Amino acid sequence: MSLIRGAIGGVVGFAAGALLIVSIRVGTGHDAWEVESVTAGAWMFALVGWVLGVGVWRYWAGPWFGRPERTYDITGWRRYLAFDTDHKVIGIQYLVTFLAMFFMAGLFAMLMRWELFSPGEGVLDAGLYNSIMSLHGTMMVFVAVAGTIGSFGNYVVPIMIGADDMAFPKLNALSYWLVPPVLVALTTSFILGGYDTGWTGYAPLSVKSDVGGLFFNLAFFTLGLSSIVGAINFVATIVTMRAPGMGWFRMPIFVWAIFVTAILALLFTQFIALAMLMVILDRTAGMVFFDPASGGQPLLYQHIFWFYSHPAVYIMILPALGITLEMVSHFSRKPLFAYRWAVGGFLGIMGLSSMVWAHHMFTSGMPDALRKPFMVSTEIISIPTGLIFLSAVGTLWLGRIRFTVPMLFALGVLFNFLIGGITGVFLADVPVDVQLQDTYFVVAHFHYVILGGGIFGLFGGIYYWFPKMTGRMMSARLGKVHFWWMMVGFNATFLPMFTLGMDGMNRRIADYTPNLADGNRIVSLGGFFLGTSFVVFLFNFIKSWTSGPPAPPNPWGARTLEWQTASPPPHENFDVPPVVLGDPYGYGEPDSVHAVFPAPDGGPVEEASR
Amino acid sequence: MVGERRRELFSVGAIWLVVTVVAEYVAVAVSLHPPGASREARIIDEAFDLLLYLAIPVFTFVVVVVGYSIVRHRAGPDEELDGPPIRTNRAFIASWMVVTSVLTVLVIVPALAGMDKLAAGPEPGLVIDVRAEQWSWTFDYAGGEVRTKDTLVLPVDTRIQFRITATDVIHSFWIPAFRIKQDAVPGKVTETFVTAERIGEFRDDVGMRVQCAELCGLGHARMWTDVSVVSQEDFDAWFSSAGG
Repeated sequence: MSLIRGAIGGVVGFAAGALLIVSIRVGTGHDAWEVESVTAGAWMFALVGWVLGVGVWRYWAGPWFGRPERTYDITGWRRYLAFDTDHKVIGIQYLVTFLAMFFMAGLFAMLMRWELFSPGEGVLDAGLYNSIMSLHGTMMVFVAVAGTIGSFGNYVVPIMIGADDMAFPKLNALSYWLVPPVLVALTTSFILGGYDTGWTGYAPLSVKSDVGGLFFNLAFFTLGLSSIVGAINFVATIVTMRAPGMGWFRMPIFVWAIFVTAILALLFTQFIALAMLMVILDRTAGMVFFDPASGGQPLLYQHIFWFYSHPAVYIMILPALGITLEMVSHFSRKPLFAYRWAVGGFLGIMGLSSMVWAHHMFTSGMPDALRKPFMVSTEIISIPTGLIFLSAVGTLWLGRIRFTVPMLFALGVLFNFLIGGITGVFLADVPVDVQLQDTYFVVAHFHYVILGGGIFGLFGGIYYWFPKMTGRMMSARLGKVHFWWMMVGFNATFLPMFTLGMDGMNRRIADYTPNLADGNRIVSLGGFFLGTSFVVFLFNFIKSWTSGPPAPPNPWGARTLEWQTASPPPHENFDVPPVVLGDPYGYGEPDSVHAVFPAPDGGPVEEASR
Repeated sequence: MVGERRRELFSVGAIWLVVTVVAEYVAVAVSLHPPGASREARIIDEAFDLLLYLAIPVFTFVVVVVGYSIVRHRAGPDEELDGPPIRTNRAFIASWMVVTSVLTVLVIVPALAGMDKLAAGPEPGLVIDVRAEQWSWTFDYAGGEVRTKDTLVLPVDTRIQFRITATDVIHSFWIPAFRIKQDAVPGKVTETFVTAERIGEFRDDVGMRVQCAELCGLGHARMWTDVSVVSQEDFDAWFSSAGG
């Protein structure tokens, strides 16, 4: 019902917006109909109509206008299709939505590798290839930006800090319900012929692209709105909702990772919205921000775009690094080594991340004198990033290591992100970058960071928190099969890409010179192998969710708070709110206690068990 | 206990040393680069190799220490034991900070010097204006005396200045064998310099091509044209026969 009301709201909003724009056009002496300006304006109204219809009016804004207060009366699986404010419901909504987006974008990748299997034009012509490539990049970036923080940030962080929900539950639901319009915009774009600009959408190409490009801009703009709304909520929740005793340095490291990520999203997402808006205005309102013939400046787009999109790389990877450190500690049965240094690493990355954006532009024609400072600032970021490795390596050393499936993924993140990070040092080196910029070396590098780091972290998180979220265990045997299959497939796909790039393969091409044929065949075969690994995952995921064995409250024996309550947790998360006495990493320390659950009537204190 | 830990440190250090020496040896013995054909290519390939030599011990350190830990300290199937509660280690953290900082400096300083080396050189002996458009290249020699579209003909051992622009969207002027790349931006002239050091052409070396490296729409993948490096005499002959 919510979905139908939302759809009606969206259509009504779109019609009202279109009517308004047409009236303005007529009133100011323009032709009544111009598809792009009418659509772009109507989209904004459609967004409002959609969120009002899907639940904002019923549960939130209605009472301001004298409508009766409504309680959430939806139960069972229908909650997941409704405007529900429980952070646990929203976390699962995010997870399923972004997994679906991940698999769709993955299918696009399979098509690309099919085309690139041999030189010459095969299954896709150049135009279709560009569309598929652009959509693959865009959707995967969306998954990486919002998938992990949306799913586990929402589901786990409030429980980890001992809260009963997020600080602003309704805002939280709003941030999720802004995501379906993103999917609508991307689908519309594809139906209208797609766009050929890649996810970076550089002007002036993006200003000149077909109408599909407009929907790319609208999709990114809308996701940005969702990100900002979500980020405000995470910052507020972590600052204000911590249980008594949960000092900053008693927070699980994953909470720190989400905190830093949310601050980055809050500070920088407005710039991508601005970049998109400027392109939209260039297209629809005849602004000429990026048109040099009228005094515009194409490079301006890249500066604004990367001012967000470099910090966005950290938005994509930091939650995964948080998950990794979390697991390394719990499954080595050792305290997280150098905890404060790891926190310092996250904060250091956050601090430097706004000062490095132009390293994406070393060959762009920006002033030569600016390349040196951006190179220096970028290389310095390897120091705080190294602190994450310091913490992981120090924790694993002499641990009692449990090879659970999530631990395998954490180790996978360490290996892949090590390669991704080191090759990042190469690309930040101006002389080297002059050759490698815009080649497959870059493609390999960012897949090692975002897929090998970020998405491996996401899947590690799924295997780790699945018992908590669903109350059922996933098959560990199938999980191990999936991990090794995915790990081998991933490296077989992306390691050869480094040499392809060095041998002269530039990115975003449907065809290449014949000397690259062997390398591309290996990459394609690796890619198909990687793609099929997810069949194992999906089988395990669906089967375990519907009929897996029931999960105990704490199947991993971990000490953080989300494991000290039922699986899945009750609506308020804890029967008795916890009081925190120490940090959650006291493995091997007989007297250490993370939290207690004092009975409200002053009865016996129940200690958080292992 | 302490003796045992010291022995483990020693073993992991020894493994790391051996693996690193082998990897460095391989890195020196095997060149990853396709044939270069310019002074700039030598500088850029050297810069890459230096980073590779610096990266290897870092990569092997993490892999060996983690690998050793997970092989040697794997818990038994139903083990309940915790590891030792080591929360910090001043000496290890301090040396980690020192080493990563020194490495960062070792990366930055040669890169700065490399940039200066790339920028330095005698007055260019030839200026070529490059115009990129969807989806072709146009080369104007000596202010337009000679114009070509199909092959970029260059004299060997002469420092050449390219002044690059675009008419419609952003393109990028890339010659893989020369290792130079510079975006072509509408409304703006960017420049890059190259000194070819080897006579050759696309037929023998696929790196000898001007390839567009910035996504520019439908024809992007095929937006490339041959490069031919010839002797000064051949260049002069070609130049006058082409109308210069």
